[in-house]
Amino acid sequence: MSPLPPELSTELHRLVTAVDNPREAAVDVMYALQHHYGYLCDEAMHRAAEVLGMTTLELESLATFYDYLYRRPVGRYVIHVCDSVVCWMFHQDSIFDYLCRTLGVPPGGTTEDGLFTVLPAACVGNCHNAPTMLINGRFYDRLTPEAVDAVIAELRAGTEEPVRCK
Amino acid sequence: MQVDIPQVLFKNRHLGRPATIDEYMAGGGYEALRATIGQRTPAEVLQLVLDADLRGRGGAGFPAGRKWQGIPADHVGTRYVVINTDEMEPGTFKDRVLVNVDPHLVIEGIILCAYAVGACEGVFFIRPSYEGDAKLIEQETQVARERGYLGKNILGTEFCFDVHVHRSAGRYICGEASAQIKAISGLRPNPRKGGPRTSVRGLWDCPTIVNNLETLANLPGIVRNGPAWFKSLARSESGSGTKLYSVSGMVARPGCYELPIGVTIRDIIFTHAGGMPPGKTFKTVIPGGASTPYLPETLLDLEMDFDPMKKAGQRFGTASLMVFDKDTCLVGATLSLMEFFARESCGWCTPCREGIPYVRELLRRIEGGEGTEEHIGMLQEMLPVLDLAYCAFAPGAAEPLRGLLTHFMDEVRAHITEKRCPFGNPPPHVRGKACGTRPPQFGPTPCPEDQCPI
Amino acid sequence: MPDLIIDGRPVTVDKGVSVIEAAERAGVMIPRFCWHKSLGAAGACRLCAVMFVEGPVKGLEMSCMTPAADGMVVETGHPKAVAFRRQIIELLMANHPHDCPVCDEGGHCLLQDETISGGHSLRRFPGRKRTYQDQNLGPFIQHEMNRCIHCYRCARFYQDYCGYRDFGPMQNANRVYFGRFEDGPLDNPFAGNLADLCPTGTLTDKPGRFVARRWDCQRAPSVCLHCSLGCNVTALSRYRRVARIEARDNAAINGAFICDRGRYGFGYQSAQERPRAPLAAGRPATPEEALRAAAGLLAAAAKRHGPDAVAVVGGQRSTMETQAALIALARAAGWRAPAFFAAAREQAQARQALYALTPPRARSLADLAKADAVLVVGVSPLADAPMLTLTLRQAARAGAAIFLADPRPLALPLDHVHLPLAPRQLAAVLAVAAAGEDASGLIQQKFPLAPELWPRLEALAQAMAKAKRPALAYAPALAASLPGDDRVGLFPVLAQAGTAGAALLAPTDAPGLDELAAELAAGRIKAVIAVETDLFAAAPALAARLDALEALVVLDHLPTPTVAAAQVFLPTATLFETGGTLAASDGRLQRAEPVQAPGLSVLADGAGDHPPRDYARPLPGTDPAPAAFWCDRLGRALSLELPRHPLAEALAAHPVLADLDPVTLPAEGQRPTYPGREPATPESPPAQPAAEGLAVVMETPFFGGDELSRYAPLTADKTGPAVALLHPDDAAGLNLADGATVALDCGDAPATAAVRLHPGVARGVVVVPRLPRFDALPPNLGPCGLRRRETP
Repeated sequence: MSPLPPELSTELHRLVTAVDNPREAAVDVMYALQHHYGYLCDEAMHRAAEVLGMTTLELESLATFYDYLYRRPVGRYVIHVCDSVVCWMFHQDSIFDYLCRTLGVPPGGTTEDGLFTVLPAACVGNCHNAPTMLINGRFYDRLTPEAVDAVIAELRAGTEEPVRCK
Repeated sequence: MQVDIPQVLFKNRHLGRPATIDEYMAGGGYEALRATIGQRTPAEVLQLVLDADLRGRGGAGFPAGRKWQGIPADHVGTRYVVINTDEMEPGTFKDRVLVNVDPHLVIEGIILCAYAVGACEGVFFIRPSYEGDAKLIEQETQVARERGYLGKNILGTEFCFDVHVHRSAGRYICGEASAQIKAISGLRPNPRKGGPRTSVRGLWDCPTIVNNLETLANLPGIVRNGPAWFKSLARSESGSGTKLYSVSGMVARPGCYELPIGVTIRDIIFTHAGGMPPGKTFKTVIPGGASTPYLPETLLDLEMDFDPMKKAGQRFGTASLMVFDKDTCLVGATLSLMEFFARESCGWCTPCREGIPYVRELLRRIEGGEGTEEHIGMLQEMLPVLDLAYCAFAPGAAEPLRGLLTHFMDEVRAHITEKRCPFGNPPPHVRGKACGTRPPQFGPTPCPEDQCPI
Repeated sequence: MPDLIIDGRPVTVDKGVSVIEAAERAGVMIPRFCWHKSLGAAGACRLCAVMFVEGPVKGLEMSCMTPAADGMVVETGHPKAVAFRRQIIELLMANHPHDCPVCDEGGHCLLQDETISGGHSLRRFPGRKRTYQDQNLGPFIQHEMNRCIHCYRCARFYQDYCGYRDFGPMQNANRVYFGRFEDGPLDNPFAGNLADLCPTGTLTDKPGRFVARRWDCQRAPSVCLHCSLGCNVTALSRYRRVARIEARDNAAINGAFICDRGRYGFGYQSAQERPRAPLAAGRPATPEEALRAAAGLLAAAAKRHGPDAVAVVGGQRSTMETQAALIALARAAGWRAPAFFAAAREQAQARQALYALTPPRARSLADLAKADAVLVVGVSPLADAPMLTLTLRQAARAGAAIFLADPRPLALPLDHVHLPLAPRQLAAVLAVAAAGEDASGLIQQKFPLAPELWPRLEALAQAMAKAKRPALAYAPALAASLPGDDRVGLFPVLAQAGTAGAALLAPTDAPGLDELAAELAAGRIKAVIAVETDLFAAAPALAARLDALEALVVLDHLPTPTVAAAQVFLPTATLFETGGTLAASDGRLQRAEPVQAPGLSVLADGAGDHPPRDYARPLPGTDPAPAAFWCDRLGRALSLELPRHPLAEALAAHPVLADLDPVTLPAEGQRPTYPGREPATPESPPAQPAAEGLAVVMETPFFGGDELSRYAPLTADKTGPAVALLHPDDAAGLNLADGATVALDCGDAPATAAVRLHPGVARGVVVVPRLPRFDALPPNLGPCGLRRRETP
C-alpha cells in the first residue's frame, strides 16, 4: 500500500477524533477514502480498518449495506437516477434507458472513458421535480432527453470537480 | 400562495433561499430560546409541548412530549438528541425544503428540545442525497455557535449543547429510530425491538431522543406563542399545528405546502396544488408517503390528521401525497414501490427480506402479462405475513399492496385476462437494486435476472 | 412468577422467561430458527409465531420476543398461526437449493424438520432462485451460502456471544451474506460451534464432511479430554472411526458450546500411527505373551532389588477407572505408589484446590457467568481452559469486572484488566483481592517495583470488595493462598482432564516424578510401569535415564517416545472405546460412555474394500483393551489379590467420595461435598525468591498443545511457531531484538526459539509454547540459560 497523502491522513485523523467513539466516523472515513481512491477498493477498506480500529469485515458489513458507498469501480460521475414511484409515473424508465443508450452502458455500468456510471436510486427526495436524478450532490429536475443531453455535455466538458460526500 | 393560511414553518419561504440568522431573528427568531434558557425549567418546556399535543411528523405520529418523558428521570450522564433527516420515504421531501427555507428555525427547535430533555449533544442525521443541506446545516450551526446559541454555556447559563452532522450512506431503514442509532454507532442499521426504548438506552447506551426535523421546527412557535395558539392552528378537532404536505405526482403544482392539520385531502390536491394537470383525470392518491395505502376517490374529503385518518383505515404517515391519474397503471406503481422496499430492506426478518421480493416477483409477472389468478391469491396471502414483520418496514410495504388489492382489483384482473398491461406499459425492466456496492469475491453471483454488473 | 397455559398445559416460569422457553418447559416445541437457548431471541425468522388467546398480549405474536405473563393462554396450533408459519417456511424455501441429498446437514437439519412439520411441500413461487458464491473459511467450517435462511444465529454467536469480528453479515435486503471480508480461516477458536448452531447446511463441519450421515453414526455421550473443564460432548463414530465431536448440553458446564480444541482433537483415536499391537522385548507379540513378559520383568526386578525398585507412573489424561486400577495394582504388588504429578507438592496443591470447593463456595462455569466480578489467577483462559473464555465473556457482557493475573500475554475477546505478573507474585494478588476497598498500602508493600500496576490492583481490590457475587478462578499452585471469605466463589483450573481424578485418588504419600527421577539416578529404581503418560513430556529427568532400567512396561494408546522405548507394550483403548469416569476441575464427577468397540476402522482395514472379503481371519486391530483391564490381567499374571471393581472400592473407602456411585452419576454430573481445607494441609510452598534469570512459563498452544491433540492429525500441525515471548524491557536488558534466535538451556541439547517481544508478558518471565522441544526446560533459566544465537 502506498502511503496516503498527508492531507488525507490528517483529515482521517480529524474525522476519527472529532467524535466520541471512532466507530461513529466509519461512514465518514469510508467516504473520504472513496473520494481519494475513486471507490472503496480493498486497499481503501484496509486503510479504513486501520484508522478506525475496526475489522475489514465490520466495515464491509457497512459498505455493502449502504447505497452510496461503492465497492466496485465507478465513473467520475455517478448518476443516481431516481426510480421510485413518482419519477416512475413520469416515465423515469425512459430517462433511465435513454441515459444507458446515450452513454452505451448497461444499468450499473461505467462508460469506457471512466466518466459516468448509471445507477438506479431509491427516491432521492425531489419528487415535486420528477423525473429527477442526482449527480455529484446536485439535483437535475423535470428531465427530458434534451435536458439529459445537456447535462451529459456539460459534465463531459469537465467544468465541475466531483463533489461526493466526504 | 394562499395568504389566509398561517405560515409558521414557511414564514421565510418568500425569500426564495435559506434565511440568514439575522432574517430569522428579525421575525422573532431565537426569542423562544432566550425566553427559555435560564428562564424556564426543562419541565416547563416539556409541559408546553405536552399541552400543545405536538405529534411526531416523521410518520408514526407519536406525541413528542411523551417520547421525551421516556427518559429515566434519575439518569445521570450524557443524553442525546438525534435529528432524523433521513427522509427516504418515496414522495417525501418536506424536510429538505424546510432546511432550505429556515435553517435557524430548525436549529432553535433542536436546542429547545435538547434543553427540555437535558441533552448535551445532538446528532443531525442526514441522508447522502441531501449533501447540500448537510453543508448548509454545518454552516448555519457554526453561525449559531458564534452567536452563542450553541456550544458551552449557552446564553451565559450552565446549559451546554452542541450538534454535529452525521452523514448517512443511504438506506431507507436508517429512518427508523433504533436503526438510526445503530447507524450512527457504526453498526449495521437493523432496527432493535424488545428491550428498553431508545429514550432509555439509545446512542452509546445513553438515553436518546430521536425526533423528526419538522417536529423540532415546531418547538420555537409552541414555546413562544403557547400551546393554545398551536392547537388553534389546526383545522380538525383533535389536531394541533400546521403540517408540511409534500404533494407530487399528477397535479398541476407539485410542491411542499404548509397547511393546517385537518385540511381535507381534496383541498390540498385541488385547491393548493392546483388540481390535476390539463387533460388528466384523478384516480387515486397515496396520502402519507409510500407506506400508506391508495386512497379511493370516495375518501377525498377525509381530514388530514392522525386520528381521523386512522379511523378511516388510512394513515397520515409523513403527509406526502402522491397523486395518480386514470392513465397510470397501479400494478406498475405498486411494483415500483415494491422495488423500492425490496431494495431498501435491512434483511433482518423473513417477511421483509424474502416476502417483499416475493410480492415484487408476482407483480412483475402480472404487469408483464404473465400473471395468473393463483398469483392474486398468493399476493393476498402475503399481506398478513408482511404485517407481522420485525419492524414497521414490511407492514408499511404491505399498505400500497393492500390498497391495490382492496380498491383496484379490477385493474389487476385486467392484466391477467388481457395478458398484458392494459395501460400499454411494456413488461417491467428487471434491474435489481442499485448495487454499486457488491465486492467481487462474494455475494450473490451476478445473475442474469439482476442484469447489474456492479 | 407468571402462570400461563400453553396448548392446555399449565406452566409456571420465572419472570422474564420468553413464551417459547416456557413452552419448552411445558413440553411443547414451538418451531424456531433464530431463537436459541444460549443466544436468546432475535425475532428474525418469524417462525415461532403463536396465537395469544387470552392475557395481556392478544393475537398472533412471536413467542421468542414475548415474555411470559400471568394469565396468558397460548395456542401453538391455532389455524392462523399454522398458516403463518407455513408461509414463512414457503418464503425461506423459495430460495433454498433443495440439495439435501448432497448436504451434510441432511437428516439432522432443522430446516428439513420445520419444512416437513410446517406442511410446506410445493414451491408455488415462480421466480428464480438467488445464488451466492461461497468462501473458504479454513479447515474446520464448510460454507454453502445458497442454503442459508438468514436466521443470524452464526453472526450473533460469532460476534455477540464470542466477541470475534472477522465473520458476520454483509449486504442488505435479500442479498444478505454471512462470511468474511475475504477467504481465510476463522479467527474464532469456538467457530466449530457454527456447525452445531446453523439450522441448515450452510455452515457444516468440514472434517466430518461426506464421512457419514449422522443417523448412520454410533453416538454416545462423552466428556472432553482436552482440558480440565469436563465439557460434555457427543462422540459420533462410523465404521469404528470417530467421525466428529459435537457439543452436548450441560447447563452447568459448557452450556450448548465447546471449543475447537475439544471438537477437532479426536483424531488420535483412528490415527494410523496409533500403536495397536502388544510388544514384548520390543517385538510384536500376542497379548498373552506381552502380559507374561511384563509380569516376568516386573517380578524379577522386585525379587532382585525389592518391591521398591518398581516405580509406577500414572497419567493425567486417564479415566478414574484406570487411575484406580493402577493404584490398586501397585498397592497389591507392594511397589511404590503411582506418581501422577511432577512433584508431591503439585499433587497436594491439586487436591487442596478441589477440597476448597465447599458447597457455599463451589462454582460451576455457569455460575461463573453470573458473577459480577471475577479474578482469574495463574490461568491463561484460552490456553488452559478455553471455554472459560466464553464464560468470562458472558459475565463481562452482563457487566462483571474481569481481572486476570497471569505472566502470559492474553488476547481475550472481552473487556478485562490484565495484571502481567510473574508466578511468584500471584499469591500476593490474592491478598490484594481480599484486602477490601482500601488496599493501597498493601499494594505498595507487595508490589513495590510495579507502580504501573497499582491503579489496576486498586481497581481489583475495589471491584472484589463491592461485588455481590465475586468469584475466583485459580491454578492449583495458588490453592494455599485462597481467601477464607465464603462470599467469594471458587473455580479451580487444573492441568488436564484426569488431574482432578488423580489428585482425589492418589495416595497422599505418593511420590512425585521428581522423586522417582532422583531415586532412579540413585540406582534405587530398576523397573518402571507407565500407564497413559509420556515420560518424555511429563518427567524429562526420568526419561533421560530410562537406559538404566531393567524393565520398562508401557500401557498407552498414543505413539509417544515412551512407547517407542518400551520393552513391553500393551495397547490401551481410548475413552471413545472404554467410556469411564472423569472428575472435572469444578470437582464434579461425570461419566463418559463408549461410542464404539476398539479395533481398526473398517476403512483402514480393507483399504476401502468394504466389507472385508476374508472372513476367516480375526478382526484386526482389536487388541487394545481398557488400561484397567490390563492392570487386572497383569495383577493376575503376578498372582495378586486385586479388587474386582477398583474404582468403586476406592470411592467407597474415600473420605470425600464415599457417597458417589460411578455407575449412577446423574447426567449433569455430581459434585461431592468437599470438606474445605484438609487438616493436614501442607504449608504453602515458600515464595520462591526472585531467582536470577528468567522464570519459564509454559503456554499450551490452542491446538496440538495437550498430549492427545499432539497426535490428532487435524490439530497436530497447528501448534504455531516455537517462539520465546519476552517483555521488551527484559529483552533490552538481554540485548535481544524482536525476531532474534535464542538457545534455551534445556538439559542435554539447547532448544532454539525465535524471540518475540510483547508488552503483555510479565517482567522476569519467558513464555514458551508447550511443545516437545521445550518439555525439558527448567522452571528457571539461570543467567546463562538464554543465549543469543547468531543466525547463520
